[in-house]
Amino acid sequence: MSVAGRSVGEAFVAIAGRDGVRDDVPARAAAAVDGLVPRWVVRPASLEQVSQVVALAHEAALAVAPRGSGSALELGCPPARLDVALDLCGLDRVVEYNPADVSITVEAGITVGALAARLAPHRQFLALDPPGASTRTLGGIAATNASGPLRVRYGTMRDLLLGVRFVQADGVLTWGGSKVVKSVSGYDVPKLMIGALGTLGVLGELTLRLHPLPDAERSWLVRLPSAEAAQAFVERVVDSSLQPNRLEYLGEQVLEAVFPGPTSSAVAVSIGSVEEAVVEGGERLAALAKAEGAQILPVPDAFWSDAERALTPSEGEALLQIASLAGRLATTQRAIVEAVRASAPRARVWTSCCAPLGTVRVRLADTDLAVTTAITKRLRDEVAEIGGSVVIARGPSALRAAVDPWGPVEAGAFALMRALRDDLDPKRVLNPGRFVGGL
Amino acid sequence: MPLSRTLLADLERIVGAGGLVRSYEGRLVYESDMHTFYKGAPDVVALPTRTDQVVAIVRLCRAERVPIVPRGSGTGLIGGAMAPQGGVMIGLNRMDKILEIDLPNRCATVQPGLINLFLTQAVANSGYFFAPDPSSQMVSSIGGNVSTNAGGPHCLKYGITTNHVLGLELVTGTGEAVRLGGKVVDRPGYDLTGIAVGSEGTFGIVTAVTVRLLHAPEAVRTILASFVAIEDASEAVSAIIAAGMIPAALEMLDEMMIRAINEGSNAGYPKDAAAVLLIELDGPLAEVMAQSERAAQICWERGALEVRVARDDAERALLWKGRKEAAGAVGRLAPTYLLQDAVVPRSKLPTIMRELIAIGARHRVRIANVFHAGDGNLHPLILYDDRDPEELERAKAANEELLNACIAMGGTVTGEHGVGLDKAKNLPLQYADADLNFMYRLRRAFDPETIMNPGKLLPSHPACGEGFRPARPRVPDGAWI
Repeated sequence: MSVAGRSVGEAFVAIAGRDGVRDDVPARAAAAVDGLVPRWVVRPASLEQVSQVVALAHEAALAVAPRGSGSALELGCPPARLDVALDLCGLDRVVEYNPADVSITVEAGITVGALAARLAPHRQFLALDPPGASTRTLGGIAATNASGPLRVRYGTMRDLLLGVRFVQADGVLTWGGSKVVKSVSGYDVPKLMIGALGTLGVLGELTLRLHPLPDAERSWLVRLPSAEAAQAFVERVVDSSLQPNRLEYLGEQVLEAVFPGPTSSAVAVSIGSVEEAVVEGGERLAALAKAEGAQILPVPDAFWSDAERALTPSEGEALLQIASLAGRLATTQRAIVEAVRASAPRARVWTSCCAPLGTVRVRLADTDLAVTTAITKRLRDEVAEIGGSVVIARGPSALRAAVDPWGPVEAGAFALMRALRDDLDPKRVLNPGRFVGGL
Repeated sequence: MPLSRTLLADLERIVGAGGLVRSYEGRLVYESDMHTFYKGAPDVVALPTRTDQVVAIVRLCRAERVPIVPRGSGTGLIGGAMAPQGGVMIGLNRMDKILEIDLPNRCATVQPGLINLFLTQAVANSGYFFAPDPSSQMVSSIGGNVSTNAGGPHCLKYGITTNHVLGLELVTGTGEAVRLGGKVVDRPGYDLTGIAVGSEGTFGIVTAVTVRLLHAPEAVRTILASFVAIEDASEAVSAIIAAGMIPAALEMLDEMMIRAINEGSNAGYPKDAAAVLLIELDGPLAEVMAQSERAAQICWERGALEVRVARDDAERALLWKGRKEAAGAVGRLAPTYLLQDAVVPRSKLPTIMRELIAIGARHRVRIANVFHAGDGNLHPLILYDDRDPEELERAKAANEELLNACIAMGGTVTGEHGVGLDKAKNLPLQYADADLNFMYRLRRAFDPETIMNPGKLLPSHPACGEGFRPARPRVPDGAWI
């Protein structure tokens, strides 16, 4: 290691302590991103330390990759450079929680599971359920804008993040938003940080809106003969007075994994409210199902985690996230099936669609790089005319090197994104190369 | 500096003589929004009907570094849609079409000048509505709502404007028409739609908006509870929230406001009430029935004098009547007032109410209160007589102190009205230099020459464009490079 390198390492030690800095081979290898091995793994114990680490990296023109639980490191392009893996799991404290405010301020490294345990005695929860949520960090969920079926009722991080403390590329600790549930003072900075993959700032502290846990919640599965019938049923539900928590279309393979039966399509619904409203909602749902000639059956709560597991890719597989429209549920579903059939008849595909929004998660197995690339491109063509997108949310490095994992971004908007990135991080300290258009 | 004759001629070429307001009397109409404290007429008002006209106007102004101020209906409360530095005002009232209603995908695309309520009216028969409902919704424009990220009495449950905006067409300060977001959610890239909503015209001119439409709730229940002490009402609010309910609205009126309303209308609030709480629950019928019973019971338990439940729309309108007339009713107490819009964490409501009384006493001004109790958004009306300059000064002093008190409790300087000219100077109460610097840089990406609504939203700063220069964090001495 060069003298300069060694002294930067010592400076990191001076900031984060001997235990907070690792430069041994196993630690570095474990923090590799897409095969790129960092020179240091730094685990700060406070936001001030994060700020100092980034400031140092900025002056030394080092590339920093912030990370939480490490569950979403396959999102985005392979990094252009990587010097410092910035492990934020040491920042896992609850900063401020007053249950009467139904909001909470936490450090970004806290996991959803740890947070849920803290909230449960007050019958409150954070209404976000992305895959693997319980072990994922809030900072990671915000940086990747991850969500799950509950978004139908509660929205996404965009609707829940009130305030954010972050470290800019030059190490300046910055605050945006507010700690109260309603504020329009200044630009809505938290919005900009969501889904930005840490490229505009390392997320350090989040103030989040919470929700009361419903008194009761139950789930049902409605079996339908086709995606077209499922779409028609979903439209009936959305047009009714029902207020589901989740309304998810499940494709054939997911069904086979969690609830084998005679049909290839199904819609899973959950309703949360006071007990009498849940019972009443279930009756109405059954009536709607009956009118469509569909079979409805109650399913246990575990159904949702089982479905989630079926959608989780194994090593080497790919996960695509398609953003389409609710009114094109069946069209999109057919396009997925056809794209797979055309490219690789023996590939396996699991799909789950947040039906009222038209966003689809697609797990692909038994494909190779060329096949996944072909499927991705074909689906991108399919959603292009409505302004939709297909993002490779997980997949091998080689795949994301061969095909842009984000897909095209409209030129005018991209010019603004680049201007922001150039102004806020001209040295490309934060996650260089990983965001849209290689930003 | 007056506008050049060539610029005026070019503007006329773009929008036609009928699309230009040049006369002194004509421009006077545009000199202020509803915060009439702040006055500044533009040098000319252009009334475009198409996006390409807006693009042409912005490019023209940019070439000559002439300030541009966008304006919708002018119902803002912040000194936003007015021209303190003169320049060109772009009135968007003629861009008022509904471009598309897409019910299968539950969204609509509209031009910015469309009146908020007209959108709900257009989809109500199909069972849908546009959720943001600022009190001005029968006159305010959706472009204005987007610009200020407007709230409303029902945002406790439904969120504010930004939660309902899917996409924008924005003509930036460089005169580029860009599409941000759209019908499809989850676009890759930075959420520029999210940052542009609430930017108060400082990023550019919004020329189209794609919004979410919601299915109308099956049932609505409105409850009015009155209390002998505001503490009891505040405790009822906390208990309702703690019981796991999120009412659509949770509004409170204090004693002075109740008196003013009772004197002038037949809202019929109990005479000895020191606080009135309006609770509105909506959603599936079974949920609304169960929760409204629980809410009423909570009010009784907290010592309510009276609890009334509206049985139909007419009764519901009657219960809301007093609340809706609140701002007008204070006219009976004083010739004029300062309206505040600060927020405190909901749990601090009882504390801030006591503090407000103390502030009023210290500055010898009366303060009437009507507020969104559910989200801690206060709207104190500080009463004064504008014929007495000394009283105005006291009202202003009380206003500043009140804002400081809210910030000290972890609150914010504006909950739903926006910043504008009025509160730009107050932002440093809430944000450090680094935070404001970050905002200046965001602005610069959209409007490099600061021609879009200059002087609004952000406090003024040195002309170099760098804004506040935050100190870098200290790194360990001597160790490296």
